[in-house]
Amino acid sequence: MPAALITGINGQDGSYLAEFLLAKGYRLVGTTPDRTSDQQLILHIRDRIEIVETDLLSQEWIEDLLGRHKPDEVYNLAARASSRDLWTQPVATGDLNGLTVARILGGIRKIDPRIRFVQASSSEVFGNTAETPQTETTAFHPRNPYGAAKAYGHWITAAYREQERLFACSSILYNHESPRRKIDFVTRKISQAAAAISLGEEKELHLGRLDARRDWGFAGDYVRAMWLMLQQAQPDDYIIATGETHSVRDFCAAAFAHVGLDYRDFVLEDAADCRPPETGLLAGNPAKAHRVLGWKPAVGFQDLVRMMVDADLEAIRSGEIHARHALSNPSSSRTNSANSTVQENPS
Amino acid sequence: MKRALITGITGQDGSYLAELLLPKGYEVHGIKRRSSSFNTARIDNILPDWHEREARLFLHFADLSDSTSLIKLLCQIQPDEIYHLGAQSHVRVSYEIPEYTGDVTALGTIRLLEAIRVVNFKTKFYQASSSEMFGTTPEYPQCETTPFRPSSPYACAKLYAHWMTVNYRESYDLFACNGILFNHESPRRGETFVSRKITRGVARIRAGLQEKLYMGNLEAKRDWGYTPEYVDAMWRMMQLDRADDFVVATGETHSVREFLETAFAYAGLDWEKYVEIDARYFRPVEVDHLEGDAGKAERILGWRPKVKFHDLVRLMVDSDTQLLEDQLSGHLARSASARD
Repeated sequence: MPAALITGINGQDGSYLAEFLLAKGYRLVGTTPDRTSDQQLILHIRDRIEIVETDLLSQEWIEDLLGRHKPDEVYNLAARASSRDLWTQPVATGDLNGLTVARILGGIRKIDPRIRFVQASSSEVFGNTAETPQTETTAFHPRNPYGAAKAYGHWITAAYREQERLFACSSILYNHESPRRKIDFVTRKISQAAAAISLGEEKELHLGRLDARRDWGFAGDYVRAMWLMLQQAQPDDYIIATGETHSVRDFCAAAFAHVGLDYRDFVLEDAADCRPPETGLLAGNPAKAHRVLGWKPAVGFQDLVRMMVDADLEAIRSGEIHARHALSNPSSSRTNSANSTVQENPS
Repeated sequence: MKRALITGITGQDGSYLAELLLPKGYEVHGIKRRSSSFNTARIDNILPDWHEREARLFLHFADLSDSTSLIKLLCQIQPDEIYHLGAQSHVRVSYEIPEYTGDVTALGTIRLLEAIRVVNFKTKFYQASSSEMFGTTPEYPQCETTPFRPSSPYACAKLYAHWMTVNYRESYDLFACNGILFNHESPRRGETFVSRKITRGVARIRAGLQEKLYMGNLEAKRDWGYTPEYVDAMWRMMQLDRADDFVVATGETHSVREFLETAFAYAGLDWEKYVEIDARYFRPVEVDHLEGDAGKAERILGWRPKVKFHDLVRLMVDSDTQLLEDQLSGHLARSASARD
């Protein structure tokens, strides 16, 4: 039975990956920062995985973890991420999102260099790039501390692959969403608002720039790509994206149409919240992943939006989500929504 | 009077930079780390006696891994210009201590940028970026727009710090420059760096103190310049109206083999008799061709290097020869930094 270690198992990606690997017969160990961290997304599989509290800022803890659990594969998903946190506490962001990659790779090199590793890299490494769409050879130009830390993680992964001959890959993940997305990400904010408004629980939705475009895929498809990378004969880096971009406006239109409404009656663009227009359009070209991994996203844009709205409708109806509470916090409904660009799960 | 803070003042670049700034009328402050052994050899000749009234060079204890110490220091000194040269700067060593290298070289830069943001946003910031960031890029010569391809933990950390410097400039409008310096050598280069290892080896072999010199990849090509000229480029960047990034290089590239040939020949020796290749020094993938295009620095900073490869090798061999003679004849007080 193969064994996998997932850092940040309690986040969106971690939970999908855990389900996927359990179905493949893996023995799973997942890390969370501490006992109090939210484990809502993995409650349904909690008894089939081993959860370990780990300090990913400690080289010793990481080595101990690798030595004790002897994983065949390591998936590094843990990261500080939120649309609001891109600029706050850049040292802490660098320590976890950046240096922890070096710690894990250093640990693998020391404990067992046969362990295969995949880093959740991010389209944010391209930041202000002039080249669209981006491929694996597009030059990086991170535009915030989050992107810079992810770029470091990306390069250190490549360095260990080339210099230490580790099986280490970076998956350059573009935005990937799901019903498990946190509410401070723009997609979830829209799906939840569309559901709440259609049920009469809310009246309007404030967003940032509606014309901001993103390459949005389904998180469940993206974790499958990470697994595929580790099953190849050679380690490499791959862009994981849909190859399509849609605007925030498109997302609103699809979400509200799904509940029989016209978004223009409910969505307000808050000019005050708009950041200056971004120079780079983040759109990925996933041709290499198609060609080498045979990977293609199974869930398209319309299906993704509908899946998210349906889940929010269900959650509100069942009382799982109290729409009023979720949407009444001004800081969560009005903060740079159109710029919610990051995808990893906060650990 | 302008006030400058230099991190890494006890290193090769920091010592030359302090010597450049003092005659320009700067008050110079430097950060040194606590160490059990003396670590100020390179600046001993310009360090004032503690009782000297007119002292304009001051050293402070602080550490790049300690945010609080940096913020306290900036509050206390209120520098106009910060030259951030401090780093774990050895490429090969970074493979053994990647986490520490990332902490000091990358996060240390972020701690310093954050300290500036907190204390005084008008402070100008110079970041010592490195040609190692180009790493295994197939493109050369490398200029400011060449895509980076770092291949060591050191280069990854330097690139991280580079982007953070760009981010603080673009998003916070901080005056922050990256000087992408290609190899720069001098008699004060650390003895474990390849240029100095060779010139010191030549001096010792000629004096009969050493028989062999063990080397790694001789085919690696580097763009080698003379450090005192490179610290001048740093200062010029900080005098601009608008902060920017600059490649600082000679535009010439020479292999390690050429360095060996030139150094041994200058001493009247045949290098092939003394040099042994040690496979342990090889990396699976070598950074094999660094060659800088400093056209932008020449155009905007009016900077042009005068000391080129052959002169550089000779002056380093001369210096190591002299140093060795001094040591052998008992003039130990005469330090490397006092002579050149």
